[in-house]
Amino acid sequence: MPLPNLALALANETSQTSASAAGLTRVISLADLDDRHLVQEAQAGSRAAFEELVRRYDRDVLRLALNLMKRTEDARDVYQEAFLKVYRNLHRFRFECSFYTWLYRIVTNVCLDHLRRRQARPEDQAPELHPAKYEDGGTDFFERQREYRPTLDPERHLVGKEIQARLAVAMERLSPRERIVFEMKHYQGLKLRAIGDALGTSEETVKNSLFRATRKLRSELGVLR
Amino acid sequence: MSPKNTCAEVAPLFVFYLCNEVDDRERAKIEDHLAKCESCRTQLSEERSFQEAMGGVSQAADELDTSGVLLAQCRSELAEQLDDLTRPRVKETPLRFAWLRRWLIVHPALSGGALVALGLVLGVQSTEWYASRNPSNGLDQAIDVRPSVRLTDDQLAKMAVAGINLTPSSSSEKQNVRLQLSAEQPVELSGSLDDSDVRRVLTYVLANGERFDPGVRLDCLDALKARARDSAVRNALLSAARKDQNPAVRLKALEALGDESSDQAVRDTLLQALQYDTNPGVRVEAVNLLVRSLQNSPAEGLMPMPSLPEEHALSATPGVVTGSADESMANVVRTLEDLQRKDPSRYVRLQSAAALRQIAARNDQ
Repeated sequence: MPLPNLALALANETSQTSASAAGLTRVISLADLDDRHLVQEAQAGSRAAFEELVRRYDRDVLRLALNLMKRTEDARDVYQEAFLKVYRNLHRFRFECSFYTWLYRIVTNVCLDHLRRRQARPEDQAPELHPAKYEDGGTDFFERQREYRPTLDPERHLVGKEIQARLAVAMERLSPRERIVFEMKHYQGLKLRAIGDALGTSEETVKNSLFRATRKLRSELGVLR
Repeated sequence: MSPKNTCAEVAPLFVFYLCNEVDDRERAKIEDHLAKCESCRTQLSEERSFQEAMGGVSQAADELDTSGVLLAQCRSELAEQLDDLTRPRVKETPLRFAWLRRWLIVHPALSGGALVALGLVLGVQSTEWYASRNPSNGLDQAIDVRPSVRLTDDQLAKMAVAGINLTPSSSSEKQNVRLQLSAEQPVELSGSLDDSDVRRVLTYVLANGERFDPGVRLDCLDALKARARDSAVRNALLSAARKDQNPAVRLKALEALGDESSDQAVRDTLLQALQYDTNPGVRVEAVNLLVRSLQNSPAEGLMPMPSLPEEHALSATPGVVTGSADESMANVVRTLEDLQRKDPSRYVRLQSAAALRQIAARNDQ
């Protein structure tokens, strides 16, 4: 992949011999451009500008995909599919929302498709994290949080694993949309309005999804109470 | 508004209150209520614990891509895909006869007609040219040694026959057969009846008649009738004559066996057809074949004549016992007598009588 930061670096040819910063009349790095300009460059055919946009957001995209899909292969598929869609449809982007919102709309749609396909094939579920392994009979899930979370207890790691395993199982019970909303709110820190924009739905609908997701998770995780 | 009602209104907002997603009016309402309601304070505290617990859980992404290798891989794969998308297409080299191509595109009807005419002329001319260059092609090729597709038993069991084409050759013995089969993949077999694969397919179709269309079975019989001397072919013909569901197929199988009536198994099959075949046409053919075989065989030849019983209605002169009379011929006579008396078809009765007369005449000689 070519280095994008060099793509628009335009040096004054007469000053190249001096090789000093002072000789450069103007250097514009792609990294310095805002999203709007990068998108315009990419729409004009600049591959480097597109790659800079990818680099700007792909960490978050992959993180979202990994958290939702729980499998590296699926997350890789989501990553490729989403950015290829962005690349193919970039000429249609008309700046009616931020590029970030538009990108997330594509990514969440791809994730939803994958999750729905996975739900339709029960044999293709994400691997379970063996919740039974951590069960030791009747302990309150929330009690354990209070007891272990802030301490330096050597069992802390194990308990964290237990919570993670239980949460993974509980998350599997959520609908794809609820799972995405919960993930985007709690782990990506997005505002409900932004989540609604990304999902192409109203803030009110997102609120309902988040409420249902939280209820379901509390109900699933509170079974041991 | 009663406190209970307020609890019911406020409690669902705790989820959003904790993540700062309530407006000012809702916030004021919640905080006013919390100041007065112990139960809701507890509930909010539980909700907060839950959200903190959720926030403290390490994420799948933290475990699945700790070193950032996956992100690097994804970037690299994406770059490759983008390379594929942006790679300029290889420019096509200009074709020869481009003018002809353009003309064909612009005049589709004319070009279609011209191509058909050209194909016809070329086809006719090339056949004649080939025949003139290979005048003895059909005769010289005693055995077709072309490497043919070997069909396994499994393929045979699964195959369907899409078409059988017979191409008459200069020698009637050497007619070419083209078989279009569809097993797991379409297979085309082509060759004379000397080709073991061709024979194998044809006899398989006859032996497993229930799986194939009667038209296909009749085509097989057409192809095989010249080879009734071959024991495998004869067995397939016998099987078809005895068991095939379709009377036309049984009839044709009997016809194909007609020249082999000296064979004991063939004679038994003819007799069986005489006695038991439900179709009068088949019975008549069986009688005819017996009669023909009597006409063709010498008096004491392949088909020895038995003495006819005394009471035989048509044997005005009792037959001379030829010493070589065998039991099977006696069976033939008995069967013919039965048919002559009882067969529901008048034509079968007449033909049976004619056959008996012929036998009696031979015995007189």
